[in-house]
Amino acid sequence: MNVASQVPVSPSARAGHPITSAKPPFLGFGLGLRAQHYDEILNGVPPIDWFEVISENYMIPGGQPLRILDRIRARYPVVMHGVSLSIASTAPPNFEYLEGLRELARRVEPKWISDHLCWTGVHGKNLHDLLPFPYTREALDHVVNRVQLVQDFLGRAIVLENVSTYVQFNNSEMTEWEFLSELSRRSGCWLLFDVNNVYVSAFNHGYDPRTFLEGIPADRVVQFHMAGHSHMGTHIVDTHDHPVCEDVWELYAAALKRFGWVSTIIERDDHIPPLDEILVEVERTREIANRILPPLTRHAG
Amino acid sequence: MSDLARQQSDFQRAILTGDDSILAEIPDSPKETRENLFGVYRYAYSSRLVEAMRNDHKLLHIYLGDEMFDAMGHAYVAANPSQHPNLRWFSNSLPDFLKSAEAYSKHPVLSDLAALEKALNDAFDAEEAPVIGLADMAGFAPEAWAGLTFRPHPSASRLDLSTNASAVWLALKADEDPPDPVGLDEPSRLLVWRKDVTPVFRELGAEEAMMWDEAASGIPFGVLCSMLATYDDPDGAAARGATYLHGWVTAELLTGVAGGD
Repeated sequence: MNVASQVPVSPSARAGHPITSAKPPFLGFGLGLRAQHYDEILNGVPPIDWFEVISENYMIPGGQPLRILDRIRARYPVVMHGVSLSIASTAPPNFEYLEGLRELARRVEPKWISDHLCWTGVHGKNLHDLLPFPYTREALDHVVNRVQLVQDFLGRAIVLENVSTYVQFNNSEMTEWEFLSELSRRSGCWLLFDVNNVYVSAFNHGYDPRTFLEGIPADRVVQFHMAGHSHMGTHIVDTHDHPVCEDVWELYAAALKRFGWVSTIIERDDHIPPLDEILVEVERTREIANRILPPLTRHAG
Repeated sequence: MSDLARQQSDFQRAILTGDDSILAEIPDSPKETRENLFGVYRYAYSSRLVEAMRNDHKLLHIYLGDEMFDAMGHAYVAANPSQHPNLRWFSNSLPDFLKSAEAYSKHPVLSDLAALEKALNDAFDAEEAPVIGLADMAGFAPEAWAGLTFRPHPSASRLDLSTNASAVWLALKADEDPPDPVGLDEPSRLLVWRKDVTPVFRELGAEEAMMWDEAASGIPFGVLCSMLATYDDPDGAAARGATYLHGWVTAELLTGVAGGD
């Protein structure tokens, strides 16, 4: 039995065509917003083009975080990035969560809403992790239907990110990049290409990250993530607690050559340094793009 | 059940209970065994949740120290798997857990300290609402006062503690050695709320705590004063009631006042 039959079928799925949505604009070179940097951002004029905010951090009743978010969004383009959509879960969709997400989006008016191609729990539990699943035709049908359901609910195409994985499954029938490509084509979702996650997963599973890169359709990628990781020798853990390593910078350059001008952020979630220090990495994303790519025609994205 | 649903169920059970059956469906990587690779998920699960508890209960963490806090945290994680997509609410049941779990219930200061930190966290991101000022009160004619009812700010909550946890909290917050924990004959009656963006609390006397609790449930001012008259000098009850009310208004504790007719 296909799990897709266990959940409501979205109107767009019934109609046989995905929700259509204009390709999100190129926003430049930004940063994942973290509370440690609130004061430095609001009291200065840091050279940051845009911010990505963790949706769940602001899915709260009120108080200072939402007031600060209101001030940030008044000055910068903002994108909402979630960690709990659990798009690949076989549990029933969490409409309370989706309503909270839609409510926050009404307030923030983000340029787009993203989350991860993963699941976070079943049977009413949430493991708060970005968990892997087998890349099967059954899973693809299920996730396509879920994406269409979420897109119908939110009234816009969403953006999905490849996650770092530590295990694979014997019953996978396609590669991760084949799955992502087909998912994007069938559901109409856009792709967030996390350069570090590609590097991490490629090392952990023993393939060339450039094969992944070449397997993703160039016209579907609307955002890059750049982050650091922890190398354990036999495997890499996606910890976001180090600066971006040189291998990932090289892969970023290759990604720019394939995908062109793509909105990019630096992500840091632990051992968060002062803003000045992290701005060096933001500047480097900009400098490499300026060096590699032909001059940008504004609003071409 | 579909293959995907069964695999997710097995994968989750492997993380939560240590049942390894899912490993039969996972290959080794070129450089590492499937057991060690799957261990990344097992480790991340409990360590991420305990880290969230450390963020929510910074002073309880200082009070217990790394080792004891983490042992307590892992026990809480095992007893209370997260059921909410937002990590913000994961440690909500910690005061109840510390009150009932055998290893911690003999130290009631722990549950009280956790309850105070939870109340302050809840005040921090409580719903926004306007606050009334003294000018709003001045608009009512003297004869209308007996019928006035009051609406607390959404961030306001009351807490009765059976220990000196508030003194422990204040000492830890000031980076000082906390006093020895003691049980109290009379509960410590706290009022917790958010003043602008900052969560605060103060201790109430028995009389003011009673008046707050009754006012928060919609009892009008005239009746509140009658109740105060049973606590102390009946002739001064209205004046005491007005003094408490004045304090609440200037502390930004009230979001609404309404006439009785």
